[in-house]
Amino acid sequence: MRKVLFAGLCLPSALVWLIAVGMAAEPATKAVTNRGDGSRAPGIHRLPLYAEPLEPGKQGDKITKETDPALPFSMRGTCSECHVYKHDYDVIRKGWHFNASDPNVPPGRPGPPWIYTDVTMGTQIPLSYRAWPGTFRPEQVGLTPFQFTQLFGRQMPGGGPGEVDTDADDEITRQMVSGKLEINCLSCHNRDPGHDQAEYAAQIAKQSFRWAATASAPFASVSGSAKEMDDTFDHLMPDMVMDEKKKPLIPTVTYQPQAFNHKDEVFFNVSGKIPADRCYFCHSDINASQCGSEKWEADEDVHLTAGLTCVDCHREGLEHNTIRGYEGEVNSNVLAASTSCKGCHIGDENGRAPHAGRLGAPVPAHKGIPAVHFDRLSCTACHSGPWPGATTDLCKTSQAHGLGTHGINKSPTALPHVLYPVFAKQAPVDSQEADPKPGKIAPHKLIWPAFWGTIGAEDKVSPLKLDTVKKVVGPALQGLKFTAAGAWAEIKEEQVLAALKTLAGSVEEGKPVYVTGGTLYRLKDDGTLSIHQDHPAAAAYTWPLAHNVRPAAQSLGVGKCTVCHSTGAPFFFGEVAVDSPIAAVSNLTKAQYQFQQAPYGRTWAFAMSFVFRPWFKVVAIGSAALLAVVLLLYGLRALGAVARVLAEQEK
Amino acid sequence: MFQTVADIAFVMTFLGVAAHWVLVPTRKPRNVVQGAVHVFSLLLIEQRTSLLGALKKLAYLLSLVCFVVLAITGFWPLLVRGEHISGYLMMIHATFAPIFALCLAVIAVTWAGENRFTAEDCPWVRRLLRRATRLQVPAEEKPCACAVVGYKATFWLLLFLALPLILSIVISMFPLLGTDWQHHTAAIHRWTGLAFAVIAILHTYLAIRLRMTREV
Repeated sequence: MRKVLFAGLCLPSALVWLIAVGMAAEPATKAVTNRGDGSRAPGIHRLPLYAEPLEPGKQGDKITKETDPALPFSMRGTCSECHVYKHDYDVIRKGWHFNASDPNVPPGRPGPPWIYTDVTMGTQIPLSYRAWPGTFRPEQVGLTPFQFTQLFGRQMPGGGPGEVDTDADDEITRQMVSGKLEINCLSCHNRDPGHDQAEYAAQIAKQSFRWAATASAPFASVSGSAKEMDDTFDHLMPDMVMDEKKKPLIPTVTYQPQAFNHKDEVFFNVSGKIPADRCYFCHSDINASQCGSEKWEADEDVHLTAGLTCVDCHREGLEHNTIRGYEGEVNSNVLAASTSCKGCHIGDENGRAPHAGRLGAPVPAHKGIPAVHFDRLSCTACHSGPWPGATTDLCKTSQAHGLGTHGINKSPTALPHVLYPVFAKQAPVDSQEADPKPGKIAPHKLIWPAFWGTIGAEDKVSPLKLDTVKKVVGPALQGLKFTAAGAWAEIKEEQVLAALKTLAGSVEEGKPVYVTGGTLYRLKDDGTLSIHQDHPAAAAYTWPLAHNVRPAAQSLGVGKCTVCHSTGAPFFFGEVAVDSPIAAVSNLTKAQYQFQQAPYGRTWAFAMSFVFRPWFKVVAIGSAALLAVVLLLYGLRALGAVARVLAEQEK
Repeated sequence: MFQTVADIAFVMTFLGVAAHWVLVPTRKPRNVVQGAVHVFSLLLIEQRTSLLGALKKLAYLLSLVCFVVLAITGFWPLLVRGEHISGYLMMIHATFAPIFALCLAVIAVTWAGENRFTAEDCPWVRRLLRRATRLQVPAEEKPCACAVVGYKATFWLLLFLALPLILSIVISMFPLLGTDWQHHTAAIHRWTGLAFAVIAILHTYLAIRLRMTREV
């Protein structure tokens, strides 16, 4: 009886336990499958569209071809149907492309800043949420994340500042109208040739953040502008707009009916194998001095020409911790150390398997190049960027100039003025040392900050808020002659003086200054202008460039040392233009060696020594030959003497 | 590793020379200052009348100066600062190097005859040969002139080491060797340079002693 009772109790318990284990195991299995099963075949994405959720943490309404009004789809809602493991969206938003505004993320090597320009105020200032020395945080110039997104979201894949809840009183209702700028997975992953990232940028400029991803998709179109809507606008009830003038401007989505299948699913041609064209929208650059804006005149990176794509090197997993690809990069990505120039081309001698030659990378011989070059120069110094000339070139980039977006100024001289190549010593990278050594010499892009600010204790300069500058400095700078090319309008020093005098009465802390081209203008106590050239607070901001990589046959030093080691070599003695709206400053120049922390005398003397290098070789080889002959001669004589002794013994 | 070996080698060499100077006195006055003045006056003032004699001594003196400069510029950054040669030191090193190479060539041509080993240099070698080979090598009972043998041996060793020392750096200047071999040639230059420097110190010391005793 007891046995029956025991069995009667145990069996149901075991059954319940098995069911519980089975239920617990199901999500774990799903989670694993979400990570991919290892198949190289691309996954097909036929997905139902979901609108923005009405409550945080819940799924939004499903969008069908009958939904009226047609709502913009939410990338988060649509993609999260499958990518639910550990709330993938929240994992992805910590990836490199989205985490700039997270103060806990190490900034890593300095990178391209966002550049705010205003020719009417003589302003060109590098901004970044990352703590890159030489850049300013957007809030320092009075830009809220909402404003920052509207200005620069054009070349962002969403997320980051676009998803920050604004705390500015006048923006809270605007953010409800515009929506947040979610991560747009399609910005990178959409392989459909109909993907329209320029339209995405246009929607952001119109504050239509909620509609931006939908507008970029090939199966939808968006009209109207959230910017034109009142603060009371509700996108779920567009019929509530009573103003007849504003009705045509209501943000409206139109889906192509044939895009939906019988299950109301839409085909997304997305893939992890991102084509370079997607990256190019935000990461293009062109040598404006040589090619203007004609891309057909410029060659592509040699890796792309060879058939690779950007993501072959800049890899990432679901965490989106993109490999930036520089030496010494600290990155949780397991391939970070091995997927750099060195990683593929040289490999790790201590590795388990040979890495050199990965992806067909040629292993460089570097014949005749003394090994010290590899200690002092980055790979990019010889292999990347434009061939250095007597002076630096102007460069236009997607992020700085909005390349690829509608209605930009195509003039080669349009602001901001980004100069390159500048062969500078890299800032210490990801170093935990108290006194880190400067890095290797690498080609950089450069911008000379120009802005109005205040100088305080220890000569620390802080930029003034843009609104203040417009209000106070604006009247003093009236009469500037602007050009259609969008270049600087010349500012006279008298105008700077007048503006600083006006500002002196407006700023509460510190003394007003104007920074431009490495020069700092400030007001003396007697009311005259103090001009301080090469002021540390006015230093140029530089960031290393890695692309375009030139073919090996076009690398610096190919064939002869004097490409760099001669007294006229651009690598050391080329001019770096100083850029400023003030003529007296823009006439100044710097030399490349100044950015390498190298003294002129030593650099010149070393370059000069290469004039005598052929003589050195001739004398050394001649002397060695003579020594060899003497040694051989006397060696033979010694041998002869021994042979003679032996021969005499034979007799 | 090189730094440690070089430190030990130089310390041992200088200690050995000092010990030898104290323990094996010359027959001439042992005052160091007097000795140095004597040697330099021999090199600078006591010239033979022929042009060749002057050339020989000039080459020797110049090579000595070059050696000092090259040794300081080459070893100072590595042994004292712990870094590779660069900057002005590199330029000075590279300027004196071809002069040194040329001087060595002149020395090789002009001094090789005088530094040939002769049967009288090493009676013990002759005795050894006679016992080992049973050849009828005449053996004299004269004592071995060890300083002379050392002087000649270091002379030929210097000439021999000069070849890899010069060629290792010159070859690396031509587009012939890849990065691995560039490292190898640099290592050859370093290690040969160390051996050369030690032997050159010994050679100079022996030259000074022999000049003071007028054995050569």
